[in-house]
Amino acid sequence: MKTRRIVMLGLFVAIAGVLHAVESWLPLPIPVPGAKLGLANIVSLFVIVLFGWRDALAVAVLRVLLGSLLSGVFLGPAFILAMSGAVLSALAMSYAHQTWRSAFSLVGVSVIGAAVHNITQITAAAILVASADLYWYLPYLMLLALPTGVATGLTGAFFLARLPSSVRE
Amino acid sequence: MRFTRADKWLIGLLFAGAVGGIGLNMAVLSTASGQEAHISKNGQPMETIPLRPGYHEELRLGGATGYNLVEADNGRIRVKEADCPDQLCVRSGWIRVSPQQIVCLPYRVVIKIESARPADVDEITR
Repeated sequence: MKTRRIVMLGLFVAIAGVLHAVESWLPLPIPVPGAKLGLANIVSLFVIVLFGWRDALAVAVLRVLLGSLLSGVFLGPAFILAMSGAVLSALAMSYAHQTWRSAFSLVGVSVIGAAVHNITQITAAAILVASADLYWYLPYLMLLALPTGVATGLTGAFFLARLPSSVRE
Repeated sequence: MRFTRADKWLIGLLFAGAVGGIGLNMAVLSTASGQEAHISKNGQPMETIPLRPGYHEELRLGGATGYNLVEADNGRIRVKEADCPDQLCVRSGWIRVSPQQIVCLPYRVVIKIESARPADVDEITR
Protein backbone atom coordinates (compact mmCIF):
# COMPACT_ATOMS: atom_id res chain seq x y z
CA MET A 1 0.00 0.00 0.00
CA LYS A 2 2.87 2.32 0.77
CA THR A 3 4.59 1.76 -2.57
CA ARG A 4 1.30 2.29 -4.31
CA ARG A 5 0.78 5.63 -2.57
CA ILE A 6 4.28 6.79 -3.56
CA VAL A 7 3.64 5.79 -7.17
CA MET A 8 0.28 7.56 -7.24
CA LEU A 9 1.65 10.76 -5.71
CA GLY A 10 4.59 10.69 -8.13
CA LEU A 11 2.17 10.39 -11.02
CA PHE A 12 0.09 13.28 -9.69
CA VAL A 13 3.17 15.49 -9.29
CA ALA A 14 4.17 14.70 -12.88
CA ILE A 15 0.70 15.44 -14.26
CA ALA A 16 0.33 18.64 -12.25
CA GLY A 17 3.83 19.86 -13.16
CA VAL A 18 3.15 19.39 -16.86
CA LEU A 19 -0.27 21.09 -16.61
CA HIS A 20 1.36 23.96 -14.71
CA ALA A 21 4.03 24.42 -17.39
CA VAL A 22 1.72 23.95 -20.39
CA GLU A 23 -0.73 26.43 -18.94
CA SER A 24 1.90 29.19 -18.99
CA TRP A 25 2.27 28.66 -22.75
CA LEU A 26 -1.43 29.12 -23.43
CA PRO A 27 -2.27 32.65 -24.55
CA LEU A 28 -5.59 33.75 -23.13
CA PRO A 29 -7.73 35.95 -25.37
CA ILE A 30 -8.30 38.52 -22.62
CA PRO A 31 -6.26 41.59 -21.68
CA VAL A 32 -5.82 40.59 -18.04
CA PRO A 33 -2.19 39.81 -17.26
CA GLY A 34 -1.81 37.09 -14.66
CA ALA A 35 -5.10 35.36 -15.43
CA LYS A 36 -4.77 31.59 -15.75
CA LEU A 37 -7.01 28.58 -16.17
CA GLY A 38 -5.73 26.84 -13.02
CA LEU A 39 -5.55 23.41 -14.67
CA ALA A 40 -3.12 22.12 -12.03
CA ASN A 41 -5.87 22.80 -9.51
CA ILE A 42 -7.67 19.68 -10.81
CA VAL A 43 -4.79 17.57 -9.52
CA SER A 44 -4.86 19.33 -6.13
CA LEU A 45 -8.57 18.45 -5.85
CA PHE A 46 -7.80 14.82 -6.65
CA VAL A 47 -5.06 14.53 -4.06
CA ILE A 48 -7.16 16.25 -1.38
CA VAL A 49 -10.04 13.82 -1.92
CA LEU A 50 -7.89 10.68 -2.26
CA PHE A 51 -5.02 11.35 0.18
CA GLY A 52 -5.68 14.38 2.39
CA TRP A 53 -4.08 17.74 3.03
CA ARG A 54 -0.48 16.74 3.79
CA ASP A 55 -0.05 15.00 0.47
CA ALA A 56 -1.95 17.79 -1.33
CA LEU A 57 0.49 20.34 0.09
CA ALA A 58 3.49 18.21 -0.90
CA VAL A 59 2.16 17.70 -4.43
CA ALA A 60 1.43 21.45 -4.78
CA VAL A 61 4.96 22.45 -3.73
CA LEU A 62 6.63 19.81 -5.93
CA ARG A 63 4.35 20.74 -8.81
CA VAL A 64 5.39 24.39 -8.72
CA LEU A 65 9.07 23.42 -8.49
CA LEU A 66 8.75 21.06 -11.47
CA GLY A 67 6.46 23.33 -13.51
CA SER A 68 8.61 26.43 -13.06
CA LEU A 69 11.76 24.49 -13.97
CA LEU A 70 10.02 23.29 -17.14
CA SER A 71 8.80 26.76 -18.09
CA GLY A 72 12.05 28.50 -17.13
CA VAL A 73 10.79 30.87 -14.44
CA PHE A 74 12.42 29.10 -11.48
CA LEU A 75 13.09 31.53 -8.57
CA GLY A 76 11.80 34.51 -10.60
CA PRO A 77 8.84 36.65 -9.54
CA ALA A 78 6.41 34.37 -11.38
CA PHE A 79 7.75 31.47 -9.31
CA ILE A 80 7.20 33.34 -6.03
CA LEU A 81 3.63 34.16 -7.04
CA ALA A 82 2.90 30.61 -8.18
CA MET A 83 4.39 29.02 -5.06
CA SER A 84 2.59 31.25 -2.56
CA GLY A 85 -0.70 30.86 -4.44
CA ALA A 86 -0.36 27.09 -4.79
CA VAL A 87 0.51 26.49 -1.12
CA LEU A 88 -2.25 28.67 0.35
CA SER A 89 -4.94 27.53 -2.08
CA ALA A 90 -4.07 23.86 -1.42
CA LEU A 91 -4.39 24.47 2.32
CA ALA A 92 -7.67 26.41 1.92
CA MET A 93 -9.19 23.74 -0.31
CA SER A 94 -8.15 20.96 2.07
CA TYR A 95 -9.69 22.82 4.98
CA ALA A 96 -12.90 23.52 3.07
CA HIS A 97 -13.17 19.92 1.91
CA GLN A 98 -12.58 18.43 5.36
CA THR A 99 -14.61 20.88 7.44
CA TRP A 100 -17.50 21.88 5.20
CA ARG A 101 -17.81 18.68 3.16
CA SER A 102 -21.57 18.55 3.67
CA ALA A 103 -22.02 22.15 2.50
CA PHE A 104 -19.65 22.55 -0.44
CA SER A 105 -19.34 20.24 -3.42
CA LEU A 106 -16.02 19.94 -5.22
CA VAL A 107 -17.05 22.93 -7.33
CA GLY A 108 -17.35 25.10 -4.22
CA VAL A 109 -14.01 23.82 -2.92
CA SER A 110 -12.40 24.59 -6.27
CA VAL A 111 -13.84 28.12 -6.35
CA ILE A 112 -12.52 28.71 -2.81
CA GLY A 113 -9.11 27.53 -4.02
CA ALA A 114 -9.20 29.85 -7.05
CA ALA A 115 -10.24 32.85 -4.91
CA VAL A 116 -7.55 32.21 -2.29
CA HIS A 117 -5.00 31.72 -5.08
CA ASN A 118 -5.81 35.16 -6.52
CA ILE A 119 -5.81 36.97 -3.19
CA THR A 120 -2.46 35.39 -2.28
CA GLN A 121 -0.89 36.26 -5.63
CA ILE A 122 -2.03 39.88 -5.49
CA THR A 123 -0.70 40.14 -1.94
CA ALA A 124 2.66 38.61 -2.96
CA ALA A 125 2.89 40.94 -5.96
CA ALA A 126 1.98 43.96 -3.82
CA ILE A 127 4.76 43.04 -1.37
CA LEU A 128 7.24 42.54 -4.25
CA VAL A 129 6.65 45.99 -5.72
CA ALA A 130 5.89 47.59 -2.31
CA SER A 131 2.60 49.06 -3.54
CA ALA A 132 -0.81 48.26 -2.05
CA ASP A 133 -2.50 49.78 -5.11
CA LEU A 134 -2.31 46.40 -6.80
CA TYR A 135 -5.46 45.36 -4.96
CA TRP A 136 -7.26 47.59 -7.46
CA TYR A 137 -6.79 44.69 -9.83
CA LEU A 138 -8.29 41.98 -7.60
CA PRO A 139 -11.97 42.29 -8.70
CA TYR A 140 -11.02 41.67 -12.34
CA LEU A 141 -9.01 38.56 -11.46
CA MET A 142 -11.81 37.40 -9.16
CA LEU A 143 -14.41 37.72 -11.90
CA LEU A 144 -12.28 35.44 -14.09
CA ALA A 145 -11.55 33.05 -11.23
CA LEU A 146 -15.25 32.15 -10.93
CA PRO A 147 -15.71 30.46 -14.35
CA THR A 148 -12.25 28.86 -14.24
CA GLY A 149 -12.80 27.66 -10.66
CA VAL A 150 -16.17 26.16 -11.58
CA ALA A 151 -14.69 24.53 -14.70
CA THR A 152 -11.78 22.91 -12.83
CA GLY A 153 -14.16 21.80 -10.06
CA LEU A 154 -16.53 20.17 -12.56
CA THR A 155 -13.61 18.52 -14.38
CA GLY A 156 -12.22 17.15 -11.12
CA ALA A 157 -15.62 15.85 -10.02
CA PHE A 158 -16.20 14.28 -13.45
CA PHE A 159 -12.97 12.30 -13.34
CA LEU A 160 -13.27 11.38 -9.65
CA ALA A 161 -16.71 9.90 -10.27
CA ARG A 162 -15.26 7.72 -13.06
CA LEU A 163 -12.13 6.68 -11.21
CA PRO A 164 -11.56 2.90 -11.35
CA SER A 165 -12.05 1.35 -7.93
CA SER A 166 -8.48 0.00 -8.04
CA VAL A 167 -7.17 3.58 -7.77
CA ARG A 168 -9.48 4.41 -4.91
CA GLU A 169 -7.82 1.77 -2.68
CA MET B 1 -22.61 16.47 -10.17
CA ARG B 2 -24.85 19.05 -8.59
CA PHE B 3 -24.15 22.48 -7.15
CA THR B 4 -25.03 22.66 -3.46
CA ARG B 5 -26.74 25.67 -1.95
CA ALA B 6 -23.47 26.78 -0.32
CA ASP B 7 -21.76 26.57 -3.73
CA LYS B 8 -24.32 28.89 -5.24
CA TRP B 9 -24.06 31.34 -2.35
CA LEU B 10 -20.26 31.33 -2.57
CA ILE B 11 -20.26 31.93 -6.31
CA GLY B 12 -22.98 34.57 -6.01
CA LEU B 13 -21.20 36.46 -3.23
CA LEU B 14 -17.83 36.39 -5.01
CA PHE B 15 -19.50 37.52 -8.25
CA ALA B 16 -21.26 40.38 -6.45
CA GLY B 17 -18.00 41.35 -4.73
CA ALA B 18 -16.06 41.33 -8.01
CA VAL B 19 -18.71 43.32 -9.89
CA GLY B 20 -18.99 45.74 -6.96
CA GLY B 21 -15.22 46.16 -6.91
CA ILE B 22 -15.13 46.85 -10.64
CA GLY B 23 -18.00 49.31 -10.22
CA LEU B 24 -16.06 51.04 -7.45
CA ASN B 25 -13.04 51.23 -9.77
CA MET B 26 -15.19 52.81 -12.46
CA ALA B 27 -16.59 55.30 -9.96
CA VAL B 28 -13.16 56.29 -8.64
CA LEU B 29 -11.86 56.44 -12.18
CA SER B 30 -11.86 60.12 -12.95
CA THR B 31 -11.64 61.33 -16.51
CA ALA B 32 -10.57 64.81 -15.43
CA SER B 33 -7.54 66.30 -17.14
CA GLY B 34 -4.56 67.48 -15.15
CA GLN B 35 -3.44 63.98 -14.21
CA GLU B 36 0.07 62.75 -13.79
CA ALA B 37 1.83 59.42 -13.83
CA HIS B 38 3.86 58.45 -10.80
CA ILE B 39 6.65 55.97 -11.45
CA SER B 40 8.18 54.10 -8.57
CA LYS B 41 10.81 51.42 -8.28
CA ASN B 42 11.13 49.14 -5.23
CA GLY B 43 8.43 51.29 -3.64
CA GLN B 44 10.58 54.43 -3.96
CA PRO B 45 9.12 57.30 -6.03
CA MET B 46 11.27 57.84 -9.12
CA GLU B 47 9.62 60.20 -11.58
CA THR B 48 6.42 62.14 -12.08
CA ILE B 49 5.31 62.67 -15.66
CA PRO B 50 2.47 65.06 -16.54
CA LEU B 51 -0.27 63.58 -18.74
CA ARG B 52 -1.75 66.34 -20.84
CA PRO B 53 -2.68 66.68 -24.51
CA GLY B 54 0.30 67.37 -26.73
CA TYR B 55 2.94 66.38 -24.16
CA HIS B 56 5.46 63.75 -25.19
CA GLU B 57 8.26 62.22 -23.20
CA GLU B 58 10.31 59.06 -23.31
CA LEU B 59 12.05 57.87 -20.21
CA ARG B 60 14.48 55.03 -19.73
CA LEU B 61 14.55 53.26 -16.37
CA GLY B 62 17.45 51.00 -15.52
CA GLY B 63 20.78 50.44 -17.27
CA ALA B 64 21.89 48.68 -20.44
CA THR B 65 20.12 45.54 -19.29
CA GLY B 66 17.16 45.36 -16.94
CA TYR B 67 15.47 48.38 -18.48
CA ASN B 68 11.94 49.68 -19.06
CA LEU B 69 11.40 52.29 -21.77
CA VAL B 70 8.42 54.39 -20.70
CA GLU B 71 6.59 56.55 -23.23
CA ALA B 72 4.12 59.31 -22.37
CA ASP B 73 2.14 60.71 -25.26
CA ASN B 74 -0.87 62.98 -25.51
CA GLY B 75 -2.30 62.29 -22.06
CA ARG B 76 -1.52 58.58 -21.90
CA ILE B 77 1.43 56.45 -20.87
CA ARG B 78 2.79 52.99 -21.58
CA VAL B 79 5.89 50.84 -21.33
CA LYS B 80 7.11 50.92 -24.91
CA GLU B 81 9.86 48.39 -24.50
CA ALA B 82 11.47 46.30 -21.78
CA ASP B 83 13.86 43.38 -21.65
CA CYS B 84 12.00 41.57 -18.88
CA PRO B 85 11.16 37.93 -19.61
CA ASP B 86 7.39 38.10 -19.22
CA GLN B 87 6.68 41.39 -21.10
CA LEU B 88 3.51 41.86 -19.05
CA CYS B 89 4.25 45.58 -18.64
CA VAL B 90 4.56 46.05 -22.41
CA ARG B 91 1.42 44.04 -23.11
CA SER B 92 -0.53 46.13 -20.60
CA GLY B 93 -0.58 48.84 -23.28
CA TRP B 94 -1.61 52.45 -22.85
CA ILE B 95 -3.22 53.70 -19.65
CA ARG B 96 -4.75 57.15 -19.28
CA VAL B 97 -7.00 57.47 -16.24
CA SER B 98 -6.65 56.99 -12.50
CA PRO B 99 -6.48 54.42 -10.90
CA GLN B 100 -5.08 52.44 -13.81
CA GLN B 101 -1.54 51.15 -13.41
CA ILE B 102 1.20 49.20 -15.10
CA VAL B 103 3.32 46.84 -13.07
CA CYS B 104 6.66 45.29 -13.99
CA LEU B 105 7.27 42.60 -11.40
CA PRO B 106 10.76 41.53 -12.50
CA TYR B 107 12.13 45.08 -12.07
CA ARG B 108 9.72 46.11 -9.27
CA VAL B 109 8.46 49.07 -11.30
CA VAL B 110 4.97 50.51 -10.80
CA ILE B 111 3.48 53.23 -13.00
CA LYS B 112 0.23 54.59 -11.65
CA ILE B 113 -1.95 57.50 -12.64
CA GLU B 114 -3.11 60.00 -10.07
CA SER B 115 -4.91 63.28 -10.21
CA ALA B 116 -2.40 66.11 -10.04
CA ARG B 117 -4.44 67.87 -7.39
CA PRO B 118 -7.31 66.74 -5.19
CA ALA B 119 -10.76 67.62 -6.47
CA ASP B 120 -11.91 70.96 -5.13
CA VAL B 121 -15.23 71.14 -3.29
CA ASP B 122 -16.19 74.11 -5.46
CA GLU B 123 -15.65 72.07 -8.60
CA ILE B 124 -17.97 69.36 -7.33
CA THR B 125 -20.77 71.68 -6.25
CA ARG B 126 -20.50 73.75 -9.41
